[in-house]
Amino acid sequence: MAIRRQTLVLATLLTPVTLFLGVFFLLPLLIIALFSFLTPGLYGGVEWAFYHWNYGRIFGWADDIIEVYEPIYLQILARSLGFAALTVLLCLLLCYPVAFWVSRLPNRWRMLFLFLITLPFFSSLIVRLYAWLLILKPSGILNTVLIGVGAISEPLEILYTPAAVVLGMVYVMVPFMFLPLYSAVDNLDRALIEASMDLGATRLQTFLKVVLPQTLPGILGGAVIVFIPSVGNFIVPDVLGGAKGLMIGNLVEQQFLSARNWPFGSALSMIVMAVVLAVLLGSTAAAKRKGGQNA
Amino acid sequence: MKALGVAVALALMAGAAQAEETLALYNWGDYINPEILTKFTAETGIKVTLDTYSSNEEMLAKIQAGATGYDIVFPSVHMNDIMLKLGLLEKTDINLSPDFKNIDPANLRSKEDPTSSYCLPYAWGTVGVFYNEKITGPLTSWADFFAVPEKTGGKITLLDDMREVLAIGLIANGKSVNSADPADIKLATDYILAHKASVSAFSYDSMAMMTSGDIAAAHFFVGGNVFFIQMPEIKYMIPSEGATMYQENICVLASAPDKENAKKFMEFYLRPEIAALNVAQQYNGTANVQARELIPAEIKNNPNITVGPETLTRLHIFEDIGAALKLYDRAWNTIRTAQ
Repeated sequence: MAIRRQTLVLATLLTPVTLFLGVFFLLPLLIIALFSFLTPGLYGGVEWAFYHWNYGRIFGWADDIIEVYEPIYLQILARSLGFAALTVLLCLLLCYPVAFWVSRLPNRWRMLFLFLITLPFFSSLIVRLYAWLLILKPSGILNTVLIGVGAISEPLEILYTPAAVVLGMVYVMVPFMFLPLYSAVDNLDRALIEASMDLGATRLQTFLKVVLPQTLPGILGGAVIVFIPSVGNFIVPDVLGGAKGLMIGNLVEQQFLSARNWPFGSALSMIVMAVVLAVLLGSTAAAKRKGGQNA
Repeated sequence: MKALGVAVALALMAGAAQAEETLALYNWGDYINPEILTKFTAETGIKVTLDTYSSNEEMLAKIQAGATGYDIVFPSVHMNDIMLKLGLLEKTDINLSPDFKNIDPANLRSKEDPTSSYCLPYAWGTVGVFYNEKITGPLTSWADFFAVPEKTGGKITLLDDMREVLAIGLIANGKSVNSADPADIKLATDYILAHKASVSAFSYDSMAMMTSGDIAAAHFFVGGNVFFIQMPEIKYMIPSEGATMYQENICVLASAPDKENAKKFMEFYLRPEIAALNVAQQYNGTANVQARELIPAEIKNNPNITVGPETLTRLHIFEDIGAALKLYDRAWNTIRTAQ
């Protein structure tokens, strides 16, 4: 009786979220999956006929008449993955020490700091990126200050370079890395660190064998949350990169708009999703392996 | 209780009456003088709402995906043709309105609707080059424009638009901007790639960067002139090799909920003083011949905004190229990924 009631409660609680995800997540996903195998309509949309060349022109079995195979799409994907990986790495290097520092602050300072980290979310991403445009441009704040203090004599050429894209991506993604990392660091069992030092381990050994394994779930969590949106980001490369280096997100957007080729855009999206899923499963497996070792 | 019932009924009727008198515009961003909408509402009592889009394709995709509630859209001529082929537009017989005589026949550019029984010419303009004469000296051609970085150290930008950028390459090679010949598109791609290293960015943000002096020259729409009224050193030119022009038309959607109000708006826009009001704020061209006499002198007498017949021969307009769009898409990907 009690079990049945528990099931009922659980079902009641889970129904809304299941329906929500079913309608707003699963259904669109299925539509994209379906569209990726359909014939592109001349003016956008799809024609209901099977068409495998959307994948053929990416992977190399196009006929060179209707569709042409070009390695460019996989190159664009590889470059986007590279940028996303670099963003993850830089966010991690930036956030890891800061997480330790914040976790040792007195309580009220800690709250203030966590609030500051989430502050950027209060304004639109586009507005914040245009602010970076104003900071980075040759006559912008950064160059004016650096020239003013005599650090440089010519303005730095950062805007419209890959460096500006990476800078923008790291800026956008840092809070997503920081929050899971901070929670892992905050939960660190400090007695274990003391024990490790007391038992004669060096600082490096203590870090590698005690601190790192305990914070690994936070690192992996942050890495995944930063990696996924970074792969598909197309606004940062457009605004700060001057649209000169095409990313997979730009390519997908272009297929749905200026190229009016929804099926090809869908096929590209499916491939991005497959790659992201592989990364996700890989990192979960890695976390499980590590967890197993510790246990 | 009865009084309350009557009050509610009256309120509902008032609400319903108000709901009837609306007009929903779906236009490009910053592409209509807000004063026109205020005047239209003041005169007719019809409440106007305005949503915006940033490309023809964005608008088409939204309408195709089934967006309803919009009465009027402002597609470019080639998109006007596409939407007619797709059956998305409503016949308005605007060409039978008495004031239609104000419209220059040269602006009836739709291939699918050559007599304008569906849409009304809205505005037209050129896509040329803005340059800071203090940095670049006088520029007259695309060759001059692309030489700016090497000669002066100044930066240049192109529009972040597939067909506009490839059109430069096609024009420089003496080809049609609507070519569907892969060989022509290859020539155009090679021309742009040869100059890509000189181009700082493909961007729509160039006007602010021109004002701050961070960019020396930019490929942009004639409407950009509005930013440089106080900056005489910023000039605008139509390159000698040729350039593109655009024209948008006012079209009523087949799905429009208020078709009569939409027709009223079209007729309102046929008045010379209303069309001239738009030019005064937008700095572009009008199809209304009478309105051309009413526009401010600094626009009317600027040979680059109000272009003469000899410049007109150098201007090319985009047409619907159907399946050939795929060639342009691939060329654009190549251009944007080349290092």
